[in-house]
Amino acid sequence: MGKRMAGVARGCGVVIVSVAAGVGAAQQVPDLVIRNATVMTVTHGTIEHGSVWVHNGKIAGVGTTVNAPTGAVVVDGTGKYVTPGIVDPHSHSALGNDVNEATSPVTPSMMMIDAFDNSDKALYQALAGGVTTELLLHGSANMIGGQAVVIKNKFGLSRDGMLFPNAPRSIKFASGENPKRVYGGRNQLPSTRMGNFEVMRQAFEDAKVYRKEWDSYDAKVAQGAKDVTMPHRDLKLEALADVLRGKLLVQIHCYRADEFLTEEAIAQEYGYKIRAFHHALEMYKVGDKIAQDDTGIATFADWWGFKDEAWDAIPWNAVMSMREGVRVALKSDSNDSVRRLNQEAGKMVHYGGATEEEALRMVTLNPAWIIGVDDRIGSIDTGKDGDLVVWNMDPLSTYARAEKVYIDGDLFFDSSLKGFGTTHFDGVMHSSGFGGSDDEEGGN
Amino acid sequence: MRAIGRLLPLWMASALLPVGLLAQAKMVDTTPGAGAIAITGGKLLTITHGVIENGVLVLQGGKIVAVGTAGAVKVPKGATVVDAKGMTVYPGLIDSETNLGLVEVESDKVNSDLVETSEEIFPQMHVYDAFHAETERIPIDRFNGVTNAVVAPASEDTMPGQDILIQLAGRDRDTMLMTRDVALAMNFGQGQKRGGRGEGAGGPGAKYPATRMGEITQLRQALVDAQEYMQHKADAGKKPGEMKTKFDLRNEALLPYLKGEKPVVLGVYEGYEVEVALALAQEFHLKVVLNHVTHAQDVLDKIASYKVPVIVGPIYDFPAANERYDAVFSLPAELQKRGVKIAFASYGVEFNRNLPYAAGYAVAYGLPYDEAMKAITLNPAEIWGVADKLGSLDVGKTANVVIANGDPLDVRTSVKQVYIDGVAIPMETRQTRLRDEYMPKK
Repeated sequence: MGKRMAGVARGCGVVIVSVAAGVGAAQQVPDLVIRNATVMTVTHGTIEHGSVWVHNGKIAGVGTTVNAPTGAVVVDGTGKYVTPGIVDPHSHSALGNDVNEATSPVTPSMMMIDAFDNSDKALYQALAGGVTTELLLHGSANMIGGQAVVIKNKFGLSRDGMLFPNAPRSIKFASGENPKRVYGGRNQLPSTRMGNFEVMRQAFEDAKVYRKEWDSYDAKVAQGAKDVTMPHRDLKLEALADVLRGKLLVQIHCYRADEFLTEEAIAQEYGYKIRAFHHALEMYKVGDKIAQDDTGIATFADWWGFKDEAWDAIPWNAVMSMREGVRVALKSDSNDSVRRLNQEAGKMVHYGGATEEEALRMVTLNPAWIIGVDDRIGSIDTGKDGDLVVWNMDPLSTYARAEKVYIDGDLFFDSSLKGFGTTHFDGVMHSSGFGGSDDEEGGN
Repeated sequence: MRAIGRLLPLWMASALLPVGLLAQAKMVDTTPGAGAIAITGGKLLTITHGVIENGVLVLQGGKIVAVGTAGAVKVPKGATVVDAKGMTVYPGLIDSETNLGLVEVESDKVNSDLVETSEEIFPQMHVYDAFHAETERIPIDRFNGVTNAVVAPASEDTMPGQDILIQLAGRDRDTMLMTRDVALAMNFGQGQKRGGRGEGAGGPGAKYPATRMGEITQLRQALVDAQEYMQHKADAGKKPGEMKTKFDLRNEALLPYLKGEKPVVLGVYEGYEVEVALALAQEFHLKVVLNHVTHAQDVLDKIASYKVPVIVGPIYDFPAANERYDAVFSLPAELQKRGVKIAFASYGVEFNRNLPYAAGYAVAYGLPYDEAMKAITLNPAEIWGVADKLGSLDVGKTANVVIANGDPLDVRTSVKQVYIDGVAIPMETRQTRLRDEYMPKK
């Protein structure tokens, strides 16, 4: 097999599938106009009595008036609020009991797409809470877990139809108590934080050798060499080599301040970047340092004290870290709170005095950045995907309900409809066996 | 608690974490001072007699001594005046089920006193024997306006023990105990089976009871035994030859419940479980408070016909497979609509401070606002037998009062001051100390 073919196969499989699925779906949708609503754009303020126009699945106009064509579906937004779709940057929904391949602390070739169950009811419940995009991650049993799948919550479509087209690849790392507990509990390495990081360093040492082998092979082939033998393909090392090449967004489950610093040091040592720390409950202690690395965080609004490494969690973490310059997202890590991430954002007004726009950004644009799709979703701007939620009132209120949820300009949920309120779903929902925090080792 | 267990991580028991975290919250002496405190200019949510704009509330000697409009209530001379202009003032919130003080961090099994699981019938277990008043979680809970809570044992047993009702401040445990043995916890359903590991009723390690039949039989036997004990006690000395009954802690503990003097809190989730458990309760004339009922949508009218109060929730429990996303969110409204007296609970120890948000969420799905407020104030005060002391801004009641900068049920609202027994509680927690220590320097 030639070099080019090998290159394509290496790490691009997911993307290819999703390109084909995404394009076709968006073009069928008629134009949509939501009129006379309070439009919270996230990037350029809140527009009273504003309108949003979606054409071919993309936002074509937003403002006090828009130039919508006749024949567009018009939604009266009087008294309503419109926001971008809510984005959850840390979920294990729809992965059944397959969240953790907890048989080795290094499993980077696990593809979460292989466990993705598009009929999981948790997705429907999240959709009804206004969630339009989710990053479905491997669990935290392993220091280096598997590769995530990014979905648009088009509940009722096929598996392929729900994939976020051309989303960057993310990989899940972990640290701290969970790998210790899982492997230490079996009297295996790692059982300490020293062991945790040793396992990780060894993996990257192996990956460095592997990458060099392949880079040298690729270079020789490029120079026209004929008699070179293709090195052995190892899916695990190939994935790690791609981390070293900067081809994967690194998402790290990490709680403690000292571990953020260790993770950043290791990333620097091996030459990759950390996209975001997840949980990150002690970021308020070292936010100024982490902000310099342009690493974001996906944190809980106020969950704390559920284990030792969450003992110093404070609900001001998100806002304090934000004030230090860290890009902060809130996340669910749960089939439960994913249904009201808008409320989790609302709590940031209480804990730290975030403005409504800052709070809303934590569940829209900032998680979109963590996933690497902030150029396409996360705000109401012309050219972005038509992922919109119509709320009965200010979405940061306890009393807010998502009334209509659009993805790529297409209506996927309408609370006024009888039954489930879904528009594309016509089948049987699966109730997930898991979907809890990735702090749980396996299914329940 | 079963539902919470499903929603949240189930901590793996671990031999790796023997560490006892140092949990020693500062205690607050709530002995009332001599002076009066007048809270003026605020919007008073009295609960019993409407909303008073620009109200005055006077606290003295640990009690509410005056409440009314600025025109009607005089501020006593020498009173400490607290300007609550623009603020909302309301009675301290009451949480109808928590595990506060029974565990600090759930993964730390060494310091967990959640429930005795060697057997299931344990009415003689008293939560007050384990309640750790210095838990760091209590200041954090009252930071959001919760001043009273029921502490129950965890729900793994069909009859795990007796609850306490606490004040969330006091100089020591005894001061914080408002009612010892306020109710008897009873549970029925999947979570109490001793089926052993694995699926179904009889995996390896299975013990009795491994089925719902076993659970009910076990409960019935315990109640029959206690009835017999009660009869023996009554007969002792009356009939010639009748021996004095040997004092028995377990049977003794059940007597007030068999006499209907105190409520049993009956934790059930499914509709048919409600019917089975209520039939048992009626058989023994138990005074019942229903708990959970989150999957009992099929028997709502029947629940109403029992005329018993319901602690409904967790409101965040997941809908059943065939149910709409809001089937549980709308349950409080559906019960209230049928005339059921409802109360809310936060359950467990990790989300207690979010009690008001559960009530607010029920409002989003149809519960009238005033009823939601009552469900975390006056209703629980009535259910737990302390309505003469708690649950509303009325003269003569304990001065448990909250001042907040907005609607108590809204997630955006911040509580500014909490009074317990009329004493201003320092708005300081382990978390505010960490916040202040690390606050970015301007």
